[in-house]
Amino acid sequence: MDFLNHHVLSLLTFVPLLTAFAVLLSPSLGLARWVSMLGSLLTFLLSIHVWYYFDGQTSGLQFTEIHNWIPTFGIKYIMGVDGLNLLLVVLTAFLTPLILLSVWHLDGSKQKAFLALFMSLECGMLGSLVAFDLVFFYIFWEAMLIPMYFLIGIWGGKNRIYATSKFIIYTFAGSLLMLAAMIVLYILHFEQTGIYTTSLLDLYGAPPAYPTQMWLFAAFAIAFAIKVPVFPFHTWLPDAHTEAPTAGSVILAGVMLKLGTYGLVRFAIPLFPEAVVSYAPLIVGLGVIGIVYGALNAWMQTDAKRMVAYSSVSHLGFVVIGSFALIGGGAALSPEALTGAIYQQINHGISTGALFFLVGVIYERRHTRLLADFGGLAKVMPWFGVMLIVATLSSVGLPGTGGFVGEFLILLGTFMASPLAGSVASLGVLLGAIYMLTLCRKILFGPITHEENKNLSDLTPREFAYLTPLAILAIVMGVFPNLFLDKIRPSIENLANNYKSYKIVAEAPALNEAGDKRAEASR
Amino acid sequence: MLFWLILFLPLFGAVLNGLVLRRASKTVSHVVGSAALVGAFICALLTYLDFMRSGGHAQVIPGMEWIEAGSFKAPFNYILDRLSGMMLLIITGIGSLIHIYAGGYMHEEKNTYRFFAYLNLFVFMMLQLVMGDNLLVMFIGWEGVGLCSYLLIGYWYESDDNAAAGMKAFLVNRIGDIGFLLGIFLTFQTFHTVSFSQLKELILTAGASLNGEQIHAIGWITLALFVGACGKSAQLPLYVWLPDAMAGPTPVSALIHAATMVTAGVYMMTRVNFLFYLAPTTQMIVASVGAATALFAATIALVQYDIKKVLAYSTVSQLGYMVLGCGLGAYTAGVFHLFTHACFKALLFLGAGSVITAMHHKQDMREMGGLRKYMPVTHLVMLIGVLAIIGFPGFSGFFSKDEILWKAWTAGDRFHILWGMGTIAAVCTAFYMVRLLMLTFYGPNRSDHHTREHLHETSVVMWGPLVVLALLSFGGGYLNVPHVIPFPEHGLFEEYLAPVLAIPAQAAEHWEHLHAEHEAGEEWAVMAVSVLGMLLASFSAILLYGRGFSPLSTALATRFQGIHRTLSNKYYVDEFYASAVVLPLKDMSYFLWKIVDVAIIDGIVNGVSQACMLVSGLTSFRMSGSLHRHGMVMLVGILCMLTVLLF
Repeated sequence: MDFLNHHVLSLLTFVPLLTAFAVLLSPSLGLARWVSMLGSLLTFLLSIHVWYYFDGQTSGLQFTEIHNWIPTFGIKYIMGVDGLNLLLVVLTAFLTPLILLSVWHLDGSKQKAFLALFMSLECGMLGSLVAFDLVFFYIFWEAMLIPMYFLIGIWGGKNRIYATSKFIIYTFAGSLLMLAAMIVLYILHFEQTGIYTTSLLDLYGAPPAYPTQMWLFAAFAIAFAIKVPVFPFHTWLPDAHTEAPTAGSVILAGVMLKLGTYGLVRFAIPLFPEAVVSYAPLIVGLGVIGIVYGALNAWMQTDAKRMVAYSSVSHLGFVVIGSFALIGGGAALSPEALTGAIYQQINHGISTGALFFLVGVIYERRHTRLLADFGGLAKVMPWFGVMLIVATLSSVGLPGTGGFVGEFLILLGTFMASPLAGSVASLGVLLGAIYMLTLCRKILFGPITHEENKNLSDLTPREFAYLTPLAILAIVMGVFPNLFLDKIRPSIENLANNYKSYKIVAEAPALNEAGDKRAEASR
Repeated sequence: MLFWLILFLPLFGAVLNGLVLRRASKTVSHVVGSAALVGAFICALLTYLDFMRSGGHAQVIPGMEWIEAGSFKAPFNYILDRLSGMMLLIITGIGSLIHIYAGGYMHEEKNTYRFFAYLNLFVFMMLQLVMGDNLLVMFIGWEGVGLCSYLLIGYWYESDDNAAAGMKAFLVNRIGDIGFLLGIFLTFQTFHTVSFSQLKELILTAGASLNGEQIHAIGWITLALFVGACGKSAQLPLYVWLPDAMAGPTPVSALIHAATMVTAGVYMMTRVNFLFYLAPTTQMIVASVGAATALFAATIALVQYDIKKVLAYSTVSQLGYMVLGCGLGAYTAGVFHLFTHACFKALLFLGAGSVITAMHHKQDMREMGGLRKYMPVTHLVMLIGVLAIIGFPGFSGFFSKDEILWKAWTAGDRFHILWGMGTIAAVCTAFYMVRLLMLTFYGPNRSDHHTREHLHETSVVMWGPLVVLALLSFGGGYLNVPHVIPFPEHGLFEEYLAPVLAIPAQAAEHWEHLHAEHEAGEEWAVMAVSVLGMLLASFSAILLYGRGFSPLSTALATRFQGIHRTLSNKYYVDEFYASAVVLPLKDMSYFLWKIVDVAIIDGIVNGVSQACMLVSGLTSFRMSGSLHRHGMVMLVGILCMLTVLLF
C-alpha cells in the first residue's frame, strides 16, 4: 500500500506505455486485445485508487512524487494531483477501456499497431495531466501528438493526410510558442531568484514583471487556445474529427481538447496573473463568440460528425469563459464559474464522447454519416434512439444531466462577472438545442426514406457495454454532482481566490492522513 | 414518507414502463402507468389532509444536497404549502383520470409502454416544478416537463410534422428558459439565495430597507422570469408552439397542454408573488400581455375547423386570463381560474378525444355533426364543459373568469381597457365554444357513410373519467363565490390562499385597491355585461351553426373575406416568424459557415502554411540527400551557436 501510494501516478502514467510495448510483442491480435484491455483496466483501477484516497479537504498536491532529474538545470520529475486534474485523470482512464471495447471487433493487419498507439496516447495524456514540471509536461504534451498523428493518418477517412498534417502542424506551431515562453520564463525566474527551476511548485507565486507577462501569457494562451480550440483557431478541429476513426474522435474530444482548457487553468492563469486581468475581456469575448459561432456552424452541417465537431467549439467556449470570469475588479476568479468550467470539461468528455460513439455505430452499419441518409431510425433501432436522446440531453444541458450543472455554474459566474457576456453566452442554451434536436430529428424521426435503413440492427451487447456507462454517468453527474465537486472544492477555491499569488503545497503521500484514516475506517 | 412516495411513484412507473416492461402488453403498460398515478394521488390526498389538519402552514421538506459551488447552494428541498398542496391534488388527481382514459384512447396502438413511461415521467417532472423550494429545482421540472412535452408531441414520430411540432415546442420554450435562467442569475446576485422560502422571509423582513438598487434589480428579475412564463404558459409572442403541440395524442393535450404544464408560468409567478408585487411596471406588462393574449387567441379560435385547434387557441386565451389575473395582483383569481380551467379544459379535450376516437381520428368539425344521437354521455359532459368555459352562471368558469374581469375593472381607470379586452375575449369564447358544440353534436351528420356506421359511445374507461371531470367543472366554482352573491360561504378560496400571498410593506400602498370596498351594484353591473355578452354570442352561434353551417354563416364568411382569411391563417404569425427570424438566422449561419469559416478563417490558416512552404522552398537547399552538405550545415550551425555563447 505504501509503495502504491508513493508511486501511483508514475504507475498510472507508465502502465499504458508498458501495455503498448506488450501489445507490440503479442504474437496474435486476440492476445493483443486482451493485453490492451487489461492494461487499460489496470490503469483505470489505479485512477480509482487515486480518486478514492484523494483527500477532498485540502487544496494541496496529493500523491506527489518528486525526484531530481537534472539538478544542474533544476529539472525535476514531479507528478501530483489536485482538484484541477483529478477528474480529468479519472475521465481519461475511464474512457480508454470503453474505446478499446468499441474497436474490439476490428481486425486488419495493422490493428495491433492501432492498439499500441492508443495505449501510448493514453500515457501521453495522463503524463501531461499529472506532470508538474515544465520540461516533463512539454515532453508528454508533444509525445501525445505522435500517436494521434498516426491514428488519423493511417486509420482515417478519405482526406486523412490533409487533416492529420493540419492537426499536427497547427498544434505544433502553438507548442513551439509555448516552448519559447517556457525558456524565457525559466531564465527570468533565474534572474529574479538566482535559482534554476522548471518546477511549477517553485514558479507559482513568482510571476515575472508585468510587460513580459503579457508576452509570455500570450504565447502560452495561444498554444492552449489552438488545442481547445478557441475561436478563431478552431478550423483544424472539424477536419481532424471528420477524418479520424471513431476511437480517435472520442479520445480527441473526450480528453485531448481538455488539455487545452486544463493548460489555461494550470499554467496560463496562475503563472501570469496580472496578464490575466488584461487579457480576460479578450478571451471571454472570443469564448462567447465561439459559443454562438460554433453553434450556428454546427446547425448548418450535413455530416453528423462535423456537426458534433462544431458543437465542441461551442461547448468549450463555455469552459473558456468559465475559467476567465473575473469578479471584484479582477481580485478573484468566480469560484462558481471555475467550478462549472472544471465540471463541464468532464461532462463534455462524457456527452461528446457518447455522441461520437453513436455516430460511429451508424457509420459502421451504413458507411455514411450524412444526415440526409438517415431518418426514422427510432423505429428500427429503439435502444440506439434512447442512447442518442440521453447524449443529446446531456449535451444541451437539460437539468438532471451533468451538462446542466456545468453550464449553469459557468453562466451564473460569468453573469455575475459581466452581465453582458453572461447574457450573450446564455443564447448558447437555445442554439445548442437547435442543432442537437435537428441532429436527433434527422437521424431518429420522420419516415424511413432509405431502403437500406429498414433492416438495420439495434445495438449489440458490445455496443451497449460501452454506451451504457456513459449514459448512466451523464445522469449521475447531473443528479449527484457533489460526489465529484466535494473532491475538488478546496483546489478550486484556492485558485479562484488566490490566483494573484497562487501557491500550491505538495503533500507527500505518507502525510495524506485523511486518506489513511479513511483507509483504516474502511477496513 | 408519504410525500416521497408522491414524488417517486410516477418516476418508478416511468422507469418500469420505459426500461423494463418494453415487451409488455398494452394492458400491463396501462395498469402500471395508471397505478403509479392513482397511488401518488392517494398519497397526495393523505399528505394534503394531514397538512391542512395541522393548520396548513408552509413547511420545507429538506432533501439531498444538489449543487454547491462557491457561495451558490441549491439543495433538493421541497415546499409544501397551500399553493403547492393544491397543485399536488390537481396534478395527481386529474393526472390519474387522464391516465385511466388514455388506456382507452390508445387501444389501437401496437404497444404503449413508451407512452405511459413519458406520461409518468411528465408527472414526476411537474411535481418537481411545483414542489421545489428553490428556483433551480423548479427549473429541473420546468425543463423536464418541456422534455416530456417534446417527446409526447412527437410520439408518432414517423410523421415528420409531429417531429417538427415537438422540436418547435422545445425550442420556443427554450427562448423562455433563457429568461428564466437570467432571472435565477439576477436573483442570486441580488439576494444570494434562490430558495423561495428564504427569499420570502428576506423580502418581508427587510421591509422598507430594500434599497433602490435592489428594487431596480427586482424589476429585471420579474421581467426575466415573466419571459420564462411567456414560453411555458404560451403567451404572446411565444405562444406559437402550443397550437402545433396538438399533434400529440389527445390525452397529452389534456394533461400537459391544458391542465398542468402550461399553467406552470402562472404558478411560478404566484410562487414569487412578493417579488412581482414590488415591480409595478412588470405587473403592468404582465397584465397587458395576458389581456392581449386572451383576446388575440380567442379571435383565432372563432374560425378554426379542427376541433383540437379550437381548444388549443382557447387554452392560449384562457391562460391569458390567468396571466392577466396575476398581472393585476389578483393572484387568487388567477390561480382559481387555473384550477377551474384545469377541470373543464381537461374535460373538453378528453371529450374531443372521445369524438376523435369515434370519428376514426378525424378532427375536422366539417365532417362531424349530430353526434349527440350516437354519443349521449359524451354530449352531456361536453355540454357541461362548454357551459363552464363560457362562464354560464352557476358553472365554475363563471366564478373564476368574472373574478378576474372584476379585478381588472376595479384596478383603476387605465385598466378599463384590459377589462374591455377580457370581456370581448369572453364574448368570443362563448361564440367559438358554442359553435364547436353545435358543429360536433347538433345538426345533420356530415361524415361519410363508412364513418357514420361505426359511430358509437366510447367505453366506460373513457367516459368514466369524463363524468368525474364534469362534476368538478360544475361544482368547482362554488369554492370561491363572489361577495355579492348570497351563498352560505363566499370567498373560501381567497381565504385559503391568503397565507401564500404577501404584499411587502413598501408596496402596500400601490396595491391598496385590491382590498377596497365596492358597491354591490357596480359588481352586479360588471357581471351583467359579461353574462349578457356571453348569452348574445351563444345565441348567435346557435343561430349560425345550430343546424350545421347555415347560409348566413357562409355569407358572413364571404362578406368579411379579408378578416376571415386573416383569422383562419392565425394572423400569419408563423409565416412572419419563419421569414423574419428563422430564415435570416439560417442565412446568417450559412454565411458564417461557407464564407467566414471555410473561406476566410480556414483560408488564412491554409494560406499561412502555403506561404511558409513557398518561403522555405526558396531558402532551403534542394533536397539533395547529400550527407556531406547536411553535415556541413550542422557544423556551421554549431560554430555559430558557440560563437554567440562565448562572446
